[in-house]
Amino acid sequence: MGIVELKDVRKVYPLGKVEVEAVKGVSFCIEKGDFISIAGPSGSGKTTILNMIGLIDHATAGEVHIDGKPTAGLKDRELTRMRHEVLGFIFQSFNLIPVLNVWENIEFPLLLGKTRITKAEKNDWIDWLIAEVGLVEWKRHKPNELSGGQRQRVAIARALVTKPQIVLADEPTANLDSATGEQIIELMKKINRELETTFIFSTHDAKIVNIADHIIRLRDGLVTENVRRGEDVAEACAPANTAGD
Amino acid sequence: MKTIANIAFRNLSRQKKRSVLLGAAIAFGVMIVTLINGFAGAFVSNVSDNFSYLLAGHVFVSGVEKTGAKLDKEIEVIRDDAVLTAALKDAGVPAKYVTRRSDFDGSLIFEGKKVFHSIAGTDLANERFLRDRLVLKEGSWDNMKDPRAIVLSDKIAGKLNVQVGDRILVSLKTAAGQNNAGEFVLAGISFDTGILGSLMGYANIAYVNELLGLASGEYMTMGIMLDDISRTERSATALYDRMKASLQLFDRGVKDEKGATTPFMAMMRKQNREQWNGVKYRVFTLNDILAQVQQIVDAINIAAFVILVVLFFIVMVGITNTFRMVMYERIREIGTMRAVGVQRGEIRSMFLYEALFLAIGGALAGIVLALVAMAVISFFNLGMDSPLFIILKNGHLSFRVPPFQAVGNVLVIAVLTLAAAFFPARNAARLDPAVALRTLK
Repeated sequence: MGIVELKDVRKVYPLGKVEVEAVKGVSFCIEKGDFISIAGPSGSGKTTILNMIGLIDHATAGEVHIDGKPTAGLKDRELTRMRHEVLGFIFQSFNLIPVLNVWENIEFPLLLGKTRITKAEKNDWIDWLIAEVGLVEWKRHKPNELSGGQRQRVAIARALVTKPQIVLADEPTANLDSATGEQIIELMKKINRELETTFIFSTHDAKIVNIADHIIRLRDGLVTENVRRGEDVAEACAPANTAGD
Repeated sequence: MKTIANIAFRNLSRQKKRSVLLGAAIAFGVMIVTLINGFAGAFVSNVSDNFSYLLAGHVFVSGVEKTGAKLDKEIEVIRDDAVLTAALKDAGVPAKYVTRRSDFDGSLIFEGKKVFHSIAGTDLANERFLRDRLVLKEGSWDNMKDPRAIVLSDKIAGKLNVQVGDRILVSLKTAAGQNNAGEFVLAGISFDTGILGSLMGYANIAYVNELLGLASGEYMTMGIMLDDISRTERSATALYDRMKASLQLFDRGVKDEKGATTPFMAMMRKQNREQWNGVKYRVFTLNDILAQVQQIVDAINIAAFVILVVLFFIVMVGITNTFRMVMYERIREIGTMRAVGVQRGEIRSMFLYEALFLAIGGALAGIVLALVAMAVISFFNLGMDSPLFIILKNGHLSFRVPPFQAVGNVLVIAVLTLAAAFFPARNAARLDPAVALRTLK
């Protein structure tokens, strides 16, 4: 079943008096629980596509469906709520809140919107995540007291804390050395297996691309390759099973 | 919202120097305004208090008698003390003590020098408080045992070039309006207590009555000194109501007489148009005489408010620029917050909370600084001989900040600070998360 579907999506940015077409009609389907790499050189449209999937940017044309629902026409409040409930974000520059410590940074998304879990459940869940990303001894430290790899681990835990269906990671290893970068991708893959969260990450590092099960390659705003474990993948998602099928 | 407020509070510590400078600017403005308010707050009570000693009372009663065949002459006199004393007792006025004075405006002449001056005839044996308030520079109160003794201020004595023991000629009109002359002996020279302290000289009432043509036991004004100055108006009303039953009284609370700057002046103007027979009394208070002091205080408070607003317009420009800068500094953070689910309104609130905490912190610090400054300033004894005597409290500058005024100042600052931060906050809230995340600082 497709959790993300893009149908002939285009994105045009105004750049002074001219317009730049960053994405030129992209269609693909991402299955639930996938561990996907969107690969391509700089300027190929990776970040733009991730932003549109992440509902922080709008498509100029085409359709973006998240969890089977079209996102066009949603108001800012609804988009924000959807980002909070369905999506998790990992950024290239970690983007942690500097005045909050590790534990508080991870807790932060849980304090937004309506809380559905008890305080004890919340504490246990955050502690489990902190243990999972290996930062138990650092949980009271502020971001500026952590290394790049540690910060990205915090960002991973923060992205997962609301138990989102999809985690989007834009070049999560770009600011890390290659060994740490690989550890971060391995950590993401481990969590993908354990929690069955769909991970979509962009990268231009060929070594990291190949860790993914599903690879979508872009060049100049177009999909050049869409394969899962060496096999081509259909652009459109299969229709959802109806009751009785 | 608690989380957003918590982050806003912590954000203040990110750029400590900047927060401290902005807070200090707010604190400085509040301190200045609180000091002015404090000074103005104590001004009325100090002036009233000091004047009450100079005029010997908080509530006053004076009598005006019509004489002459056509009842066309007026004499300021109280001949029946018993009826007033009884009314005072019946009205339950909490009098600390009662003074009886006669006074006139006349010319003091000494060796060719002449000064027009007010002379109060007092019972110095009973008016002990006058001795406490009027500090003698030369001479002694014992000299007042001379029936013709007089105490003049340094300024008046200087104008006449008189020394203690000198005999001063006085020329005046009697209560009935006839010319008269007499002779005072200078018993003492008091320190010049500023523009109002040299207002009058003090002599024995018996001799002043003799000069005015009043009989012994008669006087012009009864002064009632109360335990508590705040009871002045209530006491005056009680006395007025009591006297109204058996005596002729001039209306109290006349305010609309053309050209009158005080209620007392208005009362006098209205009296000039009235006709009556016998003695008619007027009951008035220190507040009726000193209404202009309240006008001065109102003017000071308005000036303080204008200063507050001007200072804060300057501070507001700083706050607006700072928050605009803060928005650009934290632009990716704003993008991140929006991405993880923070609503626009919450981003706006975060900035406004930050501004509010800054305003309240700065304002409270300003009030504390003002209180410390007040304590330090009021510690110094400027002495009873200071030219500022009339606004001092026992020789010290004193301050009184009405709590509602302090709270009002904090609210004004909070509102102005929020207004200053509003537009940067709104711009931050309106940021497109994708644009914010793309921006390179």
